[in-house]
Amino acid sequence: MGPLAPYEIISENTNFLLAFFIGIAFGWVLESSGFSSSRKLAGVFYGYDTVVLKVFFTAAITAMLGLLFMSLFGWVDLDLVYVNPTYLTSAIVGGVIMGAGFIMGGFCPGTSFCGAAIGKIDAMVFIGGLFIGVYGFAFTYGWWEKMYFAKYLGEPKVSEKLGMSDGLFGFFLILIALGMFVVAEWAEKKFPREEY
Amino acid sequence: MKSLKLLALIIIPLGIIMAAVPADRVKHFQLTADELLQEAGAGVQFVSPDVVADMLVQKDPSLQLIDVRTPEEYDAFSLPGAINVPLSNLLADEYTDLLNQDARMNVFYSNGSVYANQAWMITRQLGYGNNFVLEGGLNYWFGNILAATQPAQTSPNEEFAKYDFRKSAAAALGGGGVVSAAGDATPVKAVKPPVTAKAKKKPAGGC
Repeated sequence: MGPLAPYEIISENTNFLLAFFIGIAFGWVLESSGFSSSRKLAGVFYGYDTVVLKVFFTAAITAMLGLLFMSLFGWVDLDLVYVNPTYLTSAIVGGVIMGAGFIMGGFCPGTSFCGAAIGKIDAMVFIGGLFIGVYGFAFTYGWWEKMYFAKYLGEPKVSEKLGMSDGLFGFFLILIALGMFVVAEWAEKKFPREEY
Repeated sequence: MKSLKLLALIIIPLGIIMAAVPADRVKHFQLTADELLQEAGAGVQFVSPDVVADMLVQKDPSLQLIDVRTPEEYDAFSLPGAINVPLSNLLADEYTDLLNQDARMNVFYSNGSVYANQAWMITRQLGYGNNFVLEGGLNYWFGNILAATQPAQTSPNEEFAKYDFRKSAAAALGGGGVVSAAGDATPVKAVKPPVTAKAKKKPAGGC
């Protein structure tokens, strides 16, 4: 039955329309969870507030379980679900740059638009920086091209690399996530922050 | 801490269920017997010999003929460009990439169409696409493409067009040579160069 768009059960345009509504819902959830405050994201790195980590990891686990069960029931063909190709070097370099940006700016791209939507000036500045980065990369693309495509690994899955089934790996990931949540809650008690 | 326990209570059992499910249950998306019956009943798997002959003459790179007969039969005679995948070895790992792809049009053939159809059924059940069956098999191919008989004088023009096409295709594909293809005979050269067929069908490439 699914995925809906590759099987042409819904058209590409309907797909975009659905994405539009899901995007609005996503923004609303981000804002109502308080993610539009830069302290929320910065708190993950300093340990005083780990809500962002918990929310995003729970979302990932939920989506993973949903996909695995839908595949089990024959509702979705996991072979047709798009998997991002992995370019190891650029993934690591990009991850470091993004992480540094998160700590310094206190936003991720999603939450910065949330913050801008409710009139936060720091979020708007962050978006400005985001666009400078995007255009800067685009105009100097030739310099990075070699690094950008270095260490191409195809579309690997961790479960395949470890030689276990998707379900078993998912179970371990759940255990890891819960362990992380326990550590996160411990950190919140260990590094409390009063004034916000 | 309370919500964490609640979360753990929900997702750990779900995770255990997923971990206990055999890997191939989540991997392959198989057709139900109903869907397969529907496709087989509609005959969507068949490609007419004329279409295949046309693609062969045009040297259409999207066509991949697959001979599902035994290697002995394949050695004795095979269609141009065909590769041999004996039906008994169909599920061997080495053929997975060949059968499960979306770039080319695989056409199974055997002497009749029974074995080729079985190969199609099996691959279709595995969820592979782009596999087809040569309608009528080699017997029909010999009788109608390579040894096309002239239609009666009263036949409609389409029949003559078809006959002309088959004649030229047979010439291009090494017409009479197949009869003596017992092994030692030298292949008979095509009499005529492939003249443009009159009633050319559009290649159904890729579908």
